[in-house]
Amino acid sequence: MLKIIKVTGNSLSPFFLSGDYVLVSTSRQSFKRLQIGDSVIFSHPEFGRLIKLVRTNNPEIEILEVEGTHSNSISSHKLGPIPYSTLLGKVIFHFKQSGG
Amino acid sequence: MLYKFIQAIDHIHPLLDAKAHCDVPCGIYDPISAQIDALTVVRMMDLMAGLAEGDEKARVDFHNSMSRYIAVKEEHAEKAKNEIRVIWGDFIKDAHVEKYPELPNLVHKIMQIGSKCRQTADRDNGLAFVESINKFAEIFWAIKDVKTKKANAPYAPGLEMVYPDL
Repeated sequence: MLKIIKVTGNSLSPFFLSGDYVLVSTSRQSFKRLQIGDSVIFSHPEFGRLIKLVRTNNPEIEILEVEGTHSNSISSHKLGPIPYSTLLGKVIFHFKQSGG
Repeated sequence: MLYKFIQAIDHIHPLLDAKAHCDVPCGIYDPISAQIDALTVVRMMDLMAGLAEGDEKARVDFHNSMSRYIAVKEEHAEKAKNEIRVIWGDFIKDAHVEKYPELPNLVHKIMQIGSKCRQTADRDNGLAFVESINKFAEIFWAIKDVKTKKANAPYAPGLEMVYPDL
């Protein structure tokens, strides 16, 4: 299944800017094949729905580590491990704002 | 085109959003970084102009210094733009835009002048960059109910800056 989600905030700037849209695949099959640098959307118990980059993927235990690209992003340590069960999807297309 | 289409749908039926916040969420926002970056851009333009006036074009030192000034100008123009984007994306809310409707155009103007500062060595662009970011700082502090004052920066190029009056 596919969904379109709006990005808010600039933790992934300059790759994703606030106001961009992303097309995400919610297929659980794709989670095991996530690569370092892929973008994912997940629900975090403290910070809510977030978009971050995959830092490590451990398909055996179905856990990811994620990170932002901005210097002020929440650290991977603070976010903690991200279980597959909290993943909402993998970004498969990016609709950028014009200009730049 | 596709972006505009999705944006139109989003306005009619708001889509889910995902935060890419510059998170911690620390709440530490300050336009001073962008202001100093813009000032640095003007300083580099001045140094470039000063160097070009000399009769040393054939010397390796000339090229070495000029390329360093250009690189620093590039870097700080982009850093200023990014600092403004972070405040715009993470701090400014709809209510702020309603109160200061000039904000979207001002931010857009800063992005455009910042690019001009990278593309050219025209001091007027540098001055406009500093001025527009100062204006942004003025609104930013007004949103936070912090009074501001104007004073010349205590270092070259000594332009007038907007500072919080704490």
